[in-house]
Amino acid sequence: MNAAREIRQAIDWGELGPLRLRASQVAEGAYAGLHRSALRGAGVEFGGYREYVAGDDLRRLDRRSLLRHHRLLVRQFETETDRALALVVDASASMGFRGSEAKASKIAFAAVVAAALARIAIANGDPVSMSFIADERAQPIARSSGREQFERIVAALEALEPGGDAFTDPGMLDRSLRWVARVARRGAIVVVISDLLDWGPEAAEKVASLASSGRVLAVVQTLDPVEANFPFSGTVRLRALEGGSVVETDADATRTAYLAALRALNDGWRESLAKRGAQFLSATTNDSLTGLVRSIVQTIR
Amino acid sequence: MAVLVLAPYLAHRLRRKSAEERIFAPARLVPPAPPQARRRSRLEDRALLLTRAAAVVVLAVLGATPLVRCSQLSLHRAAGASVAVAIVVDDSMSMRAASGSLTRFERARRGARELVASAREGDSIAVVLAGTPARVALASTTDLGAAGQVATALTPSDRGTDLEGAVALAHELLASAPQTDRRIVLLSDLADGHADGAPLNAGSDLPLWVALPELAAPAVDCALVRADQHAARVRVETVCGPAQSAAGREVIVEGANGTPLGRAAAPGGDKGETSVLLQTDAVMAERVRLSGSDAIREDDAVPVLPEAARETLAVVVDPASELVATGGAPIVEQALGALKLDIDVAPMPAVPDSAEELAGRLAMVLDDPPGFTPEQRHVLAGFIEGGGVVLLALGPHAAAAPLGATLEPMLGEAVSWGVTTLRGAEATTVIGGLAESAESLSDLSATRRTLLSPGDSAAFQALANWTDGAPLVARRVMGRGEIWIVTLPFSLEASDLTLRPAFLALLREWLKVALDHAAPLRGQVGAFWSFPGARSLRVEGPCGPLEVTRESGASRVSAPCLGLYRATVDGRAEARVAQVDPREVDLRPRAVAASNAGVDALGQRRELVDVSSYVALALLLLLTLEMALRLSSRRASLAA
Repeated sequence: MNAAREIRQAIDWGELGPLRLRASQVAEGAYAGLHRSALRGAGVEFGGYREYVAGDDLRRLDRRSLLRHHRLLVRQFETETDRALALVVDASASMGFRGSEAKASKIAFAAVVAAALARIAIANGDPVSMSFIADERAQPIARSSGREQFERIVAALEALEPGGDAFTDPGMLDRSLRWVARVARRGAIVVVISDLLDWGPEAAEKVASLASSGRVLAVVQTLDPVEANFPFSGTVRLRALEGGSVVETDADATRTAYLAALRALNDGWRESLAKRGAQFLSATTNDSLTGLVRSIVQTIR
Repeated sequence: MAVLVLAPYLAHRLRRKSAEERIFAPARLVPPAPPQARRRSRLEDRALLLTRAAAVVVLAVLGATPLVRCSQLSLHRAAGASVAVAIVVDDSMSMRAASGSLTRFERARRGARELVASAREGDSIAVVLAGTPARVALASTTDLGAAGQVATALTPSDRGTDLEGAVALAHELLASAPQTDRRIVLLSDLADGHADGAPLNAGSDLPLWVALPELAAPAVDCALVRADQHAARVRVETVCGPAQSAAGREVIVEGANGTPLGRAAAPGGDKGETSVLLQTDAVMAERVRLSGSDAIREDDAVPVLPEAARETLAVVVDPASELVATGGAPIVEQALGALKLDIDVAPMPAVPDSAEELAGRLAMVLDDPPGFTPEQRHVLAGFIEGGGVVLLALGPHAAAAPLGATLEPMLGEAVSWGVTTLRGAEATTVIGGLAESAESLSDLSATRRTLLSPGDSAAFQALANWTDGAPLVARRVMGRGEIWIVTLPFSLEASDLTLRPAFLALLREWLKVALDHAAPLRGQVGAFWSFPGARSLRVEGPCGPLEVTRESGASRVSAPCLGLYRATVDGRAEARVAQVDPREVDLRPRAVAASNAGVDALGQRRELVDVSSYVALALLLLLTLEMALRLSSRRASLAA
């Protein structure tokens, strides 16, 4: 039986429902103390330096730093103006997984994070757009602001059915990234929420390319505790939700190797994103949502 | 029964734990490590499954034991009396042909074991082998254990077949047996090359039972008899069974390591010869084989030997004097020609001074030589020590040897040529092959004779003595060769010796010894190779080292397998080849005289055999094994 189809039935919200209420709570918790747009990018108030990466606006290159330290640094500015937020939520089949120890499925966790971020942005008057890394059935939500946009986002997330196989259909990711690149203009903040598990090796570079053209990018990896800790023992037969991989293994003997592979995967993402000035965060579905959203907000300030 | 056999399998399938399948998105990050614990469990399960399935099968067999069909030979005994049996096992080459899944010999050996197993206390068993020459493997004995060991240890050979000899031996062995019920059991394919001969055991009072008639099945066989290389040409001789042919097959000449050096079509007909031309004469072919297959694989290859020159006999006489007497060839040459031997005679005016001139000479006749120079003595000593045989006639010239010339190494001292009044030899002193013609030596019309010194006379073994006891004909072994002396010259002027029948008998006997000493490079497998005068002998062949026996003072061996043999005679290496007996390719069976007693009265082939005790034992072992496996599995699980 196709596991992806099996899990597509509905999102397992677990302890995270209802979405609207949970997102509001998380947003309020994370938003406490923030009095201005935390979004950073092109603006008028100096906000610090970062390493130059290909694609950055050469006008923001700090010549003094170049002459003084022989380093290519780019000046960043804070703005008081509205900042667009582009949410990219992975709704592929693997995101529908919920382990026995998890509070909810990965897609539910990602939905709450996305809704909370949307609420924070909308509360600041910033426009929000949202797209999905999923099959064609999940339609993106165009950039807009206001309470109605939050409602649209929540409704879309509630109606989401995880599905699609990113491993066998790499175009799924490309479609979503193209859409984001088109709607997120200079100064926009892009937050990608995914488990990052079934994408090809070139996916990190593709996603990191969103950080060019003055956009700020944060990638949030969402894993189930089972995926993060590999708690199996004895002989297990593991079936992937995407790609159809089936592996029979001795869990005790291969735990270390798996965790090392996972660590290598994350390091690869972290390195690719860091080259572009983007941020990488990783969390499990049992982590604190408020803490995670606050970390995201602080990361992209 | 199938359900019973499948039951443990199904139970294992139900019980067997399959690995628990889990949904795990990052499965591709997990290395497929060998699941050791599960593999161990699976192996144990399999062993248990096999053991239980085998136990069920054995249980079913045990239940059906009376219905188990198993052909087995056994002896039939009238009124339960003990029997004396001579088991004749044919170990000739024709028994290497296949009979079902076994060879004929293996089937015969199994039959012999079955017969021994069916014997009881008080029965006597003898085992005779029918390969040429027929041999007694075990004289009649009531020790059934020894008989069983002999039957088990029988090995096949490439010998010819001597069924008549083997049956005669069996008769002799049974003649002294105390049992009144005596019989011969023949385990043979009856292919002795005399398919049209008189029925075997005809007119005998002992019954003969051909226990395995299925061995005498018709089959096609061709063999390579010999292969000789001369320069770049290899001459190959083939032989096939009657009305059979090797046409369509190829003769392939191979060098070292089986490298093909040349090939030619095998000749047609049941006997043939073909030549294979090699590309160069610089290489020595090692063996020739026949392509394709037939009933006997072992005779489809033969070693290659260098083509030997024809053997010659050197005759040293004084041609001038002989020509005057006979008007033609010397009388000794004419006598040798009268023997019609396949040997060339090479007249020589004198004993050569170099050993090369005697190379290839089989033997040498020296008629009244006037002594030998030192060089000649050296050559003669080497010739005799190396296996040559010399016939030395002593006359006036030998007695009047010039200064510096002696009769060494044959005689240590000078001889004398003197007047005699004796008429001839004393008939009672004539022995050996001359004995038949002893009377013809009684009057030789000799007026003079040669007398040896007492020391030389003592060194020789007399074959015929003058009436006064002096030797007329005598022989002596020297090294690997022999010296024969005659104390009369072969000249007609000296005596009538050469006109007497005993002279031809003397030459025949002497040549027989010479041929024995001149080792042939080839001999039929099973025939004896004699090494007269050899002090140390070791022969190794395809069947391993051969046992050296001694007969009439000469070492000899019998080669049981086809192929090349390496003999080491007194430190010198020789190569000899045992070649196939052409009669062995004739696989037609010989007729056997019908026994008065009838086959059923001699033995039987039991079709139903009670093997329940063995089956029960096997079942017990399987159950023990099953318990051991379960205990082992339980301990392993507890340890885990």
